[in-house]
Amino acid sequence: MMPSWLRNSRLLVHAPLFIAIWLLLSRLNVIVEPLMSYYIALAAMYATAMFGMVILVGLSGQVSLGNGALMAVGGYVFAVTSLNWQTVPILGMQWNAVWSVIFAGLGGVIAGLIIGMLAARLRGPYLAGLTLGIAVGLPSIAARFPGILGGSQGLMLTVPYPEGGYAVDSAAAADAAVASDAAALDQALSGASAAPSDSASSSSDMLTPSDVTGSTAPGDMLTPSDVTGSTAPGDMLTPSDVTGSTAPGDMLTVDDVTGAGSTASADPVPVPSASAISATPSGTVTDAGFVLEQWQASVSIAVACIAGFVALNLVRGRQGRVWKAVRDDPIAAALAGISPAASKVSAFVVSSLFAALAGAVFAQILTYVGPGAYGVALSLSLLVGVVLGGRGSLVGAVIGAVLLVGLPAAVSNLAGERGWSDQVTNNLPTFVYGLLLVVVVLIAPGGVMGLLSSAWRRLATRR
Amino acid sequence: MTTFIDYLLGGFSSGAVIALFALALVLVWRSTRIVNFAQVGQAMFTTFIALAVQVATGSWILALLAGLAAGAILGLIVYALVLRPVQRLDTSGSIIATFGVLISLQALASMIWGGDPKSFAPPVANDGLEIAGRIWPISWYDILVYVVTAVLVVALTLLFTRTSLGLSMRASAFNPEVAKLSGIRVNRMLAFGWALAGVVGAVAGVLIAPTASLSPNSFDILLIFAFTAAVVGGLDSLIGAVAFGVGTGLVLALVTGYGEAGDAPIVVLILLAITLVVRPGGAFGRGKSRAV
Repeated sequence: MMPSWLRNSRLLVHAPLFIAIWLLLSRLNVIVEPLMSYYIALAAMYATAMFGMVILVGLSGQVSLGNGALMAVGGYVFAVTSLNWQTVPILGMQWNAVWSVIFAGLGGVIAGLIIGMLAARLRGPYLAGLTLGIAVGLPSIAARFPGILGGSQGLMLTVPYPEGGYAVDSAAAADAAVASDAAALDQALSGASAAPSDSASSSSDMLTPSDVTGSTAPGDMLTPSDVTGSTAPGDMLTPSDVTGSTAPGDMLTVDDVTGAGSTASADPVPVPSASAISATPSGTVTDAGFVLEQWQASVSIAVACIAGFVALNLVRGRQGRVWKAVRDDPIAAALAGISPAASKVSAFVVSSLFAALAGAVFAQILTYVGPGAYGVALSLSLLVGVVLGGRGSLVGAVIGAVLLVGLPAAVSNLAGERGWSDQVTNNLPTFVYGLLLVVVVLIAPGGVMGLLSSAWRRLATRR
Repeated sequence: MTTFIDYLLGGFSSGAVIALFALALVLVWRSTRIVNFAQVGQAMFTTFIALAVQVATGSWILALLAGLAAGAILGLIVYALVLRPVQRLDTSGSIIATFGVLISLQALASMIWGGDPKSFAPPVANDGLEIAGRIWPISWYDILVYVVTAVLVVALTLLFTRTSLGLSMRASAFNPEVAKLSGIRVNRMLAFGWALAGVVGAVAGVLIAPTASLSPNSFDILLIFAFTAAVVGGLDSLIGAVAFGVGTGLVLALVTGYGEAGDAPIVVLILLAITLVVRPGGAFGRGKSRAV
């Protein structure tokens, strides 16, 4: 027979559950279009960070407006270590991206410990104000160290790639982009024709990452590095330009970045002849099988599944009950032998760990870290997602993550049909988020999950 | 030494505006025990309205009055639609709701007026005055800011200490139940507190707009500064908010003057963190003991 600790534990249920979810999402990732993979990558990244928010805001009852800053810690540690370290300190092993992620998590734990110890003494509005201050003050900290942190322009990354490299299915990526932006295709075509001599590089169907930065066609939807890639060398578009051009809604979401990227690349700029334009004729997927977006999504999915597994075990276990006890009545919890301070700090540490992991994933989705990408807007998004999904629910966090990615996409689609101006399109999602925050708090404080569970209860009692 | 004095003089002007924002936060806190994170968003919105009036009429006074009226109305709207229902909910609910108001106001302003910074013409010259043979970092406009701030602070103090309306407001905030029994319309008093805070915020917005450019997010950092000032001042005290608002302005001016402008938010953040660690209820808050 199996030992009693295993029989009584939920590991037997939770582990297969998450392995199943992981397999399902991984399968989904390879059959959908690259654009969809990109959305999956984002949603899984948001979900990872929001598992932490569920624990912090929902279970421990500490409203943090600064978890985006904790994501920045993860992102910057990921970027700085992967850019600067060749071997693992002390251990002396060859450095790789997994180490960067581990160190990012470690950085998150340390940051969470520091902020958590500050926060454990504070009540609601004071904590919210302090964490908001951290989120707002973050750009100044990055700007203070222009050398190692890249200042306000941030740092460019190359995506850590699996053995054998990954293939860029540029035609498929361009097709996907067409759906949202027809002009991009024109640009992609003209870009390809502008540098016919480079088509030689397409003979190798396996592209190295260094090719990828240059070769992402203007229609491809990624990152600030794409923006630089598709601009003339003399008129380098820096990340700060990207943030600048998205200024209308301070809310710098990923979609803003990509949106700015596509508008920038729609400008008639000469394509640098040095960059290898991938002129793979049709949507051939090469032996490696992975498109860039799919690779990014697979990393994001794996991290989210691990984080979700850990979070579920914590929430449903003893620690989850401790957090709830302290949230509901700290004095009673203290009488029962629980340390309220330790409980609050531990919630911050766990949430910070998840935020940092998500931040590292975000860095490799954007192939860039910078103050603009991790601004107040990101912290807000996390809060919005958690409140919409349902403050205390991990499933709610996943729903919230899907809404966070889906709503801006839906709005920009709608805006395309109705012909709204960019000024409206870029800010409408944020406006809707704000209204939703208010409406959800007023009408359905439990969010989507709260509505679902009360509907279920009503159905159950009627029977 | 002269540079030190110059920096200090320069700090008074921004300090006065921070003090006004901190005052608005304190007014809301006193009436409803809520930190209104939307306060600077409301001020930004009303300042855009004031700007529209100024562009249309060319009159600064009309713009200011329009801003004041818009501030009062917006304060009432936010109170009636959002905060009054939220009051029966937990603290987290009120924080999230005011935050929702903030980001939807900012997004709405971006949709209507765009994200580009707009300039707001001052009513009087904003150039350094020349006194005794040198140019000082004080302009007629700075003097106007001091005067308006001082008048507002004195008026609010008189309101709370010398009028029956102020007494009723204090009673409603202090103990709503007893106030109700004494025949005070508590809800009306709370709403008045929000409207008053909206007016003070609107004044602050109109005053800061000519020296800083106006965009939907340009007041974000002011929220942190004002929050810091209000918290250090104890959130409950009008005088504390004003004193530490001006103090924050001076600290900012010195940091910007001797260090780098980018360091200012970090310094304020450290100030806030230290205050909160030493006195979690604010430096000059009433020392109400609290278990755990």
